[in-house]
Amino acid sequence: MTLDWWGLGLQAINVLILVWLLSRVFWRPVAGAISGRQKAALAMLDDAKAAQAKADAALAEVEEAKAGIAADRETVLADAKATAEKDAKTAMAAAQAKTDALVAAARADIDRNRETARKDTAKKAVGLSVEIAAKLLGRFNTPGVQAAFRTNLIVAIVGMSASDRATLTTVAVDIDIVTATDPETAERTEIERTINEALGGTPCLRFVTDPDLIAGLELRSAHFVLHNSWRADLQTILNEVENAG
Amino acid sequence: MNSPLDATVLVQIGPVAITQAIATTWVIMAILVIGAFALTRRLALRPTRPQAALELIVTTLDTQITETTGAAPAPYRAFIGTLFVFILVANWSSLLPGVAPPTAQLETDASLAVLVFLSVIWFGVRAGGLGGWLKSFAAPNPVMIPLNILQSLTRVFSMFVRLFGNVMSGVFVIGIVASLAGLLVPIPLMALDLLTGLVQAYIFAVLAMVFITSAVEDGTAQTDDPTPSLTEKEP
Repeated sequence: MTLDWWGLGLQAINVLILVWLLSRVFWRPVAGAISGRQKAALAMLDDAKAAQAKADAALAEVEEAKAGIAADRETVLADAKATAEKDAKTAMAAAQAKTDALVAAARADIDRNRETARKDTAKKAVGLSVEIAAKLLGRFNTPGVQAAFRTNLIVAIVGMSASDRATLTTVAVDIDIVTATDPETAERTEIERTINEALGGTPCLRFVTDPDLIAGLELRSAHFVLHNSWRADLQTILNEVENAG
Repeated sequence: MNSPLDATVLVQIGPVAITQAIATTWVIMAILVIGAFALTRRLALRPTRPQAALELIVTTLDTQITETTGAAPAPYRAFIGTLFVFILVANWSSLLPGVAPPTAQLETDASLAVLVFLSVIWFGVRAGGLGGWLKSFAAPNPVMIPLNILQSLTRVFSMFVRLFGNVMSGVFVIGIVASLAGLLVPIPLMALDLLTGLVQAYIFAVLAMVFITSAVEDGTAQTDDPTPSLTEKEP
């Protein structure tokens, strides 16, 4: 067995060339591709980490902004609530005052209306009473009653001052003798005589019939009235009642 | 049947005999280079299935180198990877009818062993300098210098003898069986030869890596630390 040194050297050169060629066309390109992919993956990871950090920062900002918004919201709500409560209290107070005023005004109106109604009712009642009394007294217009009124008239004339009586007798003015019913002649004569005696003169007397007197005897002139009748008495009572109420 | 130890000379150019093994080596070189160029011509960031397969091969080789040396695989990748691929393809070329594997010839295996021997020196000197590499022969003491020199020669010699013996014997046995039993009988032996070719390629590449690593570590240890540390591993 011999060893071909030329062949050995040639094969060594062949293998060296093969190592060099494969290093150029195979090992380096494939290793470069692997390295490139690893670098790309690392770059993507770095980008992803950067993006994640950015997203985390943005999320933190959003959370902070959200917290700020929540705080502002709470503040605004608290302010709005306080303002609303204050406005509500003010409005409630104003409404209460207005209501109290309205109630007071209504009560005053009610009291006034009630008083007015009471007065009207009392007035109507008094008027009705006076009317009833007038009708009742109209049934008692007897000669005795007439005589009593005639006596009362004479007493009233006598009670007047002398100057007043003289004025009535001297002034040329007709004096009406008002009666409720038309008296008979004799009675008229008697009335004229007693009046003249009481006055102390002879004035110009004239008989006038006024059924409104109910019963009584009055003297009337242009400037003088001497009331002496139930009508006058009832009117006096009516006035006193109204003044009292 | 010719002796497997005899080389078939195709062309004689002066003192240089172009044997069938050399021609087969050229064909294998052409196939490997052209195939590698075709496969790596369009590498993309998003790999295709062929590119993924290539990257798997390279990644596996890098892993093996890293596990063996503990260093970055880039300086050794081209030499170790090419040794493995060439020996594997050369071993498996025996499956083609009429093709004798170049690794069944002494010259081819011896040239591979010489390249490993030179690469051990190259990487050792590059790692620890010429002085560091020379000092590594004196570890653990100068008495060991003859033994270390003898070891560096014999281990390379054992590499090429192992590869030559296994491949040549496989070819020889298959040739004998084929000549005696017919065409289909050697098929199981050929399948076994496939496994043998793969294992021998792997062993040769790993041994080369181990020897280089040992030289690098010894040279570095002689440079950094006077305490010798021999971590030579052999499967």
